[in-house]
Amino acid sequence: MIKRFLDQAYLYHKGRSVAFEAEEFVLMEITYPLITMILYCLVATFSFKTTDLTCWVIGNAFLLCTNACIFGVGIMFVKERQYGRMRSIIAAPCSKLSLILASGVFPTLFAVCASVCGLVVGCLVFGVTFSGVNLLLVALTIIVAMISATFFGLFISAFGLMNDSMHLVLNVVSYLLMIFTGAEFPIKQLPVAGQVMAQIMPLTKAILAMNRLFEGNIKDFIVLIIAEFVTGIVYLLLTFVVFRVAERVAQRNGKFDMF
Amino acid sequence: MIKVIISTMILQMKQSFARPMFRFCLIANPILNTILLYEMFRESGATNYMAYVTLGAGLMGLWGCICFSSAGDINRERFSGTLALIFTAPARFPIIILGKIIGNTIMSLLTMIISLMTSVIFFRIQLQLADPLYFLIALLAAIISFIVISSVIACILTLSRKTELYMNCIEIPIILLCGFAFPVSVLPFGIRIVSYTLAPTYAVELMRMAVWGITDKAEFCEKLLVLMILTLIYALISAFLYKKIDRSVRIAATLEVA
Repeated sequence: MIKRFLDQAYLYHKGRSVAFEAEEFVLMEITYPLITMILYCLVATFSFKTTDLTCWVIGNAFLLCTNACIFGVGIMFVKERQYGRMRSIIAAPCSKLSLILASGVFPTLFAVCASVCGLVVGCLVFGVTFSGVNLLLVALTIIVAMISATFFGLFISAFGLMNDSMHLVLNVVSYLLMIFTGAEFPIKQLPVAGQVMAQIMPLTKAILAMNRLFEGNIKDFIVLIIAEFVTGIVYLLLTFVVFRVAERVAQRNGKFDMF
Repeated sequence: MIKVIISTMILQMKQSFARPMFRFCLIANPILNTILLYEMFRESGATNYMAYVTLGAGLMGLWGCICFSSAGDINRERFSGTLALIFTAPARFPIIILGKIIGNTIMSLLTMIISLMTSVIFFRIQLQLADPLYFLIALLAAIISFIVISSVIACILTLSRKTELYMNCIEIPIILLCGFAFPVSVLPFGIRIVSYTLAPTYAVELMRMAVWGITDKAEFCEKLLVLMILTLIYALISAFLYKKIDRSVRIAATLEVA
């Protein structure tokens, strides 16, 4: 069962990356997001008139997962439809949860790599220092954040069963992450509705937790990291629910697409 | 020739607007960028948000439309199976591509208007345009420069079937290098040299000068001249590339699979 899970994970990754050379894949998953991070850190340097870019490096390093977790995972069911596997997935008598989870394995790994690269670049380019910060807790925060973002990406991907405009949806979602996670500016600047929205979004609490870790506030850090993990789990459960509904409707109507 | 350009423009506008991704670039992107940049500049103490928030978001949207439409059109024609047809059509491939690019660029100007409307409606930003005439001159020069740049990119991407990857990868670097959302002076010296070889850098600076008000007309004219020279160089590169690509495509006969 584990072998099948890993095979499925690898097959999905292969489907995504086979058209590209290794360096092109790295360009897409890591280099390009890093340039995006540098752009927004430079905007912050100018707009907030600060040289201490720790908050923005942390926030944007976490947002580097967008390519893998949102655009990579979010397009999952659209790709399955293109590959012609949708029929098999809907009709197969096996658990769909493992299939959904398997598609998130490699994007999560790439997202973790991208975030680590983001923090390293932040250190080298913007002078962010890790002295006095517990690196194990940094690693834990990155892993929890990326799992949460991947589950959010899977939740969004389930809507690919119901509409054919996933590129539009995913691009809007990527901007919503920039606006509502506190990566680019403090959440308290948002109106009350925006602040509520921010709490629902993935990564918000992980970014805050990492900032607390840099400040040395471990108590708040633990609460926030647990909250981020719970947010991710909620998104996973919601994915499963949305998929089940879509599956039932597809079986009842004899259609593999709901739109 | 003009008839071909106009009919291609109209067809292109209809086709582009039918695509959800283009609608995102045209409508949602400037709105979301304006919100993001406004919140980032809110505590900056700036009094004129036009220069960086409204103009920055509008230009980012405009460039996004160019990347995801003008640059990607070759690939779309390839997938539709019509690339070889328009390549060998008697109307000439560069003319058809030019019509497509002009159509896209004109429609993409809507991003500037949407960005302005978002600024005014959501954030009550006052329209502060000190020199409208100079702004129009700068905008016109910017449009011409963007059209020429698009044709260079379209030419280069004709040879690749990984257009989707490359068009994704050119959006942010140009926004960064050309200072769409911050002055180029923020960049390190070495990177600034690269910025000043790119025509959009001058286009953005000219528009920003017009927003603040022209204090030194000679400097405006100087930058406009550099922008025109760079645009001319890009046009020559585009023409040269087309000739090279045309020859290579006819010899290899792999246009449809690149």
